[in-house]
Amino acid sequence: MFEPNADWTAQARENIGAALTQAQATLGNRVIVQPDVVGEAAQIQADYMALFSAIAGSVINYQFFVGNRLPTKVRDNRAGAFEWTMGPGVSAIPGASDADYALFIYTEDHYGSTGRKVLQILAAVSVGVAVQTGLHKGYAGLVDLRTGNLLWLNADMAMGGEVRTPEGAQRRVAQLLEDFPGRRPVQAAGAR
Amino acid sequence: MNGRLSVTAVSLLLAVAAPAQTENLAVPPYQGVYEPQGVDERGLWMEADETERSARDSGLLIRDQTLNDYVRSVLCRTVGDDRCRNVRIYILRIPSFNATMFPNGMMTVWSGLLLRCRTEAELASVLGHEFAHFERRHTVNRFRRTRTATDILAWSALIGAVTAQPSNTDLLVIGGLFRFNRDQEREADVLGLAYLTRSTYRPQGASEIWVRMMGEVDASALGRAQRSRRYDRAPFFATHPTELERATYLRSLAGPDIAGRADNAEAYAAAMRPWTRIFLEDQVRLNDFGGTEFVLAQSAGNRWTADLLFARGELYRMRGNPRDLVNAADFYRQSITQDDGRPEAFRGLGLALMRARSTEEGKAALRRYLELKPDAPDAPMIRALVDQAF
Amino acid sequence: MHIRTYMITAVALLLMAPAAAIANSLIAANAPVRIANSTLSVTPSQDWNKLSARPGRSAETWTLDGDALNNLTYYAGIQSDRPLFREVDRRNRPLPRFSATMLLADIPTLLENSYRAGRSVAVYAIEQVEPVQFAGQSGVHFRYSFTAGDEVRRRGEAYGAIVSGCLYLVTYEAPAIHYFDASIEAFRQVIASAAIGSGRR
Repeated sequence: MFEPNADWTAQARENIGAALTQAQATLGNRVIVQPDVVGEAAQIQADYMALFSAIAGSVINYQFFVGNRLPTKVRDNRAGAFEWTMGPGVSAIPGASDADYALFIYTEDHYGSTGRKVLQILAAVSVGVAVQTGLHKGYAGLVDLRTGNLLWLNADMAMGGEVRTPEGAQRRVAQLLEDFPGRRPVQAAGAR
Repeated sequence: MNGRLSVTAVSLLLAVAAPAQTENLAVPPYQGVYEPQGVDERGLWMEADETERSARDSGLLIRDQTLNDYVRSVLCRTVGDDRCRNVRIYILRIPSFNATMFPNGMMTVWSGLLLRCRTEAELASVLGHEFAHFERRHTVNRFRRTRTATDILAWSALIGAVTAQPSNTDLLVIGGLFRFNRDQEREADVLGLAYLTRSTYRPQGASEIWVRMMGEVDASALGRAQRSRRYDRAPFFATHPTELERATYLRSLAGPDIAGRADNAEAYAAAMRPWTRIFLEDQVRLNDFGGTEFVLAQSAGNRWTADLLFARGELYRMRGNPRDLVNAADFYRQSITQDDGRPEAFRGLGLALMRARSTEEGKAALRRYLELKPDAPDAPMIRALVDQAF
Repeated sequence: MHIRTYMITAVALLLMAPAAAIANSLIAANAPVRIANSTLSVTPSQDWNKLSARPGRSAETWTLDGDALNNLTYYAGIQSDRPLFREVDRRNRPLPRFSATMLLADIPTLLENSYRAGRSVAVYAIEQVEPVQFAGQSGVHFRYSFTAGDEVRRRGEAYGAIVSGCLYLVTYEAPAIHYFDASIEAFRQVIASAAIGSGRR
């Protein structure tokens, strides 16, 4: 069984946060962390998080899986368009008034215990995954807060970077932010 | 009928086999809030915290303060203030009999559980049982991942409605309440009973609700023309006590009725009154005819209220066989006799009659619905039915 | 350099399984299309995508951005005593069945109960039900909203009719944020173009 490991995750979050802060220099941007909210603002936040999941899922399902593409969007692709949006209502997201873009990041890492090979059977809503050793997933998405347009999504179910170490976190962040719009190319430690 | 014969046969068998119990029913001193030790436990706590964040934001959450205060008061009265102080309760609108408790002190109570309890003592026994798993740290010893509130619903789909018969014994019927092994279940039962015994509640409530749950499982299977699988497994192969065995030993442990102990049936009914119609509607719409009939009959006892009769009318009308429509009309009429102010009862009566081709009588009932609720969401459609020229 | 400000938010995502390997197909604008081998046909005025994965034998789903974002589903010619869509677990979660004796007023409840019984939808509200002409028949039009397991709040609109004892029902569902409004007109145009031919399937 995958063991959720808070120490690892806390460390990973810290490392990734540090790596992002470092990477901001190459992005030419100021990064702010979204405020914690309660009440109605929290409901709006939850609604947009759920919507983002649905959009990211659609992009992964109907764009990244090439054999499953939608013909109308294939046409868009040929014209160089990548059109998925959250709609202009994104300005209601808590913290949106202080930012131009919203960066959604999800990174999930599981490390199997030594000596154990485990079959993981997930609930109906998720994908069933059979993994022998570990699981390293990452998604990052950038949303334009003026229009709600999803500018860019990166999803990788076999990411590199040992996020329990600072160097590994840098590598993971570099992968996540690959092709990030406006980014200057950077030599990340331990590049792929 | 075969179903009933089996019940008799098995209960005799188990009555002979059940050992005499002399368990210690003293509540141990409370150790205080438990902080996670080691990487495994911290991982579980972290996951539980994520789950709690989703539950807090979930569309299924019932936020009503009065109901939340009431359920909390039942828990506190059961396990004591020092224990319940650190529990956060989330009431979820899921029409299955279940309650779950996470290692970080988060408890969920599902609306299907609230519907099926008939007294405060019964609710107390289920919540106490769940809290006992938490106090004994069973989750930590044998955890499984539950990640978000969406998974709560996904688990519900996996477990099915109350009357599901999944092949995995551990998930039999009650979902989260049966997720542990046999020894852990017994431990939780015993500690749960200890809480009840120390409280002012009548401890016999613990066994009664399990007996009813067995009945519902049977009824549901019968309604689907399936064989109830609960008795297929011999007790020694099961990893947890069957409901029948559990009911038996719970009853023997609880001992004779002690005077002065409360069921608080009235207080419970009063607290549930604003929610009964909603929870009944959620149950009726699950397409489980046998199980729902059973739940309604049990709730009614010897007194069918207007709400229960209405629900029964809906149940029959939705199944919609020719005979069902006639019965449904009867139930609606009986409901109206007790309470002629509920518009939906006339709506149900009218639709049942129209569908059964008693057109004039049906139209009359629908007209009454429109008089009582002219701005109903479906008023335009109902009006069209009334105006139809046949 | 123009300084742009980014906001970071962490979010957990659900990953959906990829659909079958057969490609999704293009529904071209301005050509009549026959739905699910039934006598229902429509003529959309814009392009749509038809998903290769179908909810049931007599059903078909169209989308623009993916079915989680806009979902136009046809239940075409559902016969009496049949469910609307495929049962995932027939034994433990059987779906309610359409009956030829049903009234048009019963159709919204049939859809609702199918979602509650078969798709673990626990929050569902019917907002409006009215008579309407649909595909040249006396039909029902209704609006509804619900929340499914992915916690996305969705709105729905549907049109249905019972013809020769069979149900023809077309639903459009999308997240309440942005997506429902974005394509509702395209849906209504499809509905306006619908026709149900004579003769059984």
